[in-house]
Amino acid sequence: MPSENATQGSASLWTTILTDVHFWVPLIVLAAGLAVLHWIR
Amino acid sequence: MEFSAPKMSSPSIESARLRKLQLVGVLCGFGAGAWLGAAEAPTKLVKLGISPLVVSLLMVAGVFLARWSLPALIRGTGQMRADIRQAPHLIVWGILAGCLWAVANTLTIFAIRDIGLSIAFPLWNINSLLGIFWGYLLFNELRDAGRIRWLTVLGGALLMFAGATLLAFASSAQSPAEHPVRGILAALAAGVLWGTMYVPYRKAYLTGMNPLSFIAFFTIGELGMMATLAVAYGGGPVALWRQLAEAKEVLFWLMLGGFVWVIGDLFQQYAAKYIGISRGIPLSNTNQLWGLLWGILVFGELHGRSASLYAQVIGGSLLMAAGAGAIALSSVTGSEHARWKQAAEREGRRYGVDAGYVEAGLSGNDSNAAASGLAAQSGRTWLDWLLVIAATAIFFTLAVFARAPSLALNWPALVTLTIAMVIFLFACGLALWRVTRFN
Repeated sequence: MPSENATQGSASLWTTILTDVHFWVPLIVLAAGLAVLHWIR
Repeated sequence: MEFSAPKMSSPSIESARLRKLQLVGVLCGFGAGAWLGAAEAPTKLVKLGISPLVVSLLMVAGVFLARWSLPALIRGTGQMRADIRQAPHLIVWGILAGCLWAVANTLTIFAIRDIGLSIAFPLWNINSLLGIFWGYLLFNELRDAGRIRWLTVLGGALLMFAGATLLAFASSAQSPAEHPVRGILAALAAGVLWGTMYVPYRKAYLTGMNPLSFIAFFTIGELGMMATLAVAYGGGPVALWRQLAEAKEVLFWLMLGGFVWVIGDLFQQYAAKYIGISRGIPLSNTNQLWGLLWGILVFGELHGRSASLYAQVIGGSLLMAAGAGAIALSSVTGSEHARWKQAAEREGRRYGVDAGYVEAGLSGNDSNAAASGLAAQSGRTWLDWLLVIAATAIFFTLAVFARAPSLALNWPALVTLTIAMVIFLFACGLALWRVTRFN
């Protein structure tokens, strides 16, 4: 079933991304930056 | 997480090749400084009361056009599709990096407004120190590099920071600090965001992605985030559209600034790829020197000021040059490069990227050809030409509506600096072509 494999592959890719520290470091910094921007504007 | 040292799957890049790649990286770092510094020049021509958010949005629009048309012209979008097939996960990091840039750029506008450029600029230049930290922590940069290289890179970055502080105070000492705490926080936050933005850059290039592909995804995050901020903080879409319509005569200059910035950023990306972020960011930060040259020589910003101010400028410039020189001379050793390779192999294993693709990207060869075993498809399609023609047509149309600035410009200085930039463009472009064929 190619479409099922593709879905599983996509889910697996997202799991890998979401457990990668390289993803969370920039995301947390981005959220903090947005908070600062919201506060100072 | 896989942090154990893997076995080497293939021999390290030969030292002659490594030396060439590093020279290209250093040259690109200096080229980035020249072009990024010049990017502010067109915005100085804008003297109307346009909101800072709109200025930033229009520059980003110029960036968007350039980032889709230049790669199409240089390499063709077919190569971009091949890169996505190899490493689809990097689209996420490209968009994330673009969002970081947009928020940081907006924060700098508020920082300049609150504390002036003199204090804000050196504060956000902490990005190079943060880049060294992330490079070491996450990507094995400067590991096994030896004490001397640590000293030269860190010392060079600190020298540049000191020089930047002197230059910034000299360039706009007249700016009053209206809201010091708020402004300092904004500048520091911008530095942290810009320093962290290089984490996605480095991740992409360690994996083997071509900078010309990565910047295309970057720009989607950048334009999306900037448009959201402009709409959210600019009074809604109707108010934003009205401001854009009122700015018709200056659209060209702002978007030209964005276009120039893209060329600088492209060189910055190649510098990050071949010499790492710990060395690439400080070299790109020489943009402050170039910005000052444009300000003093072309726009006559410090005309008639005291001798002590000029002494500050010369002192700051010498400090920055010394710092940049130290970093440029701190070459990557074979053992440090082996640690880079470990980090690259870790990335490849984690995301199932073809080992040949990763290896070829690290050594500046055609990653897609290495992965598929096929010759690279360098031809351009109708889509590439359409992108180039559309971007050119938009710029020409905006140029027709543009009004010539009524500023007193020093034309000989402007021509000289432009020639210097073109020399950098050709030198970097030629070096990249000869050593890597833009791979």
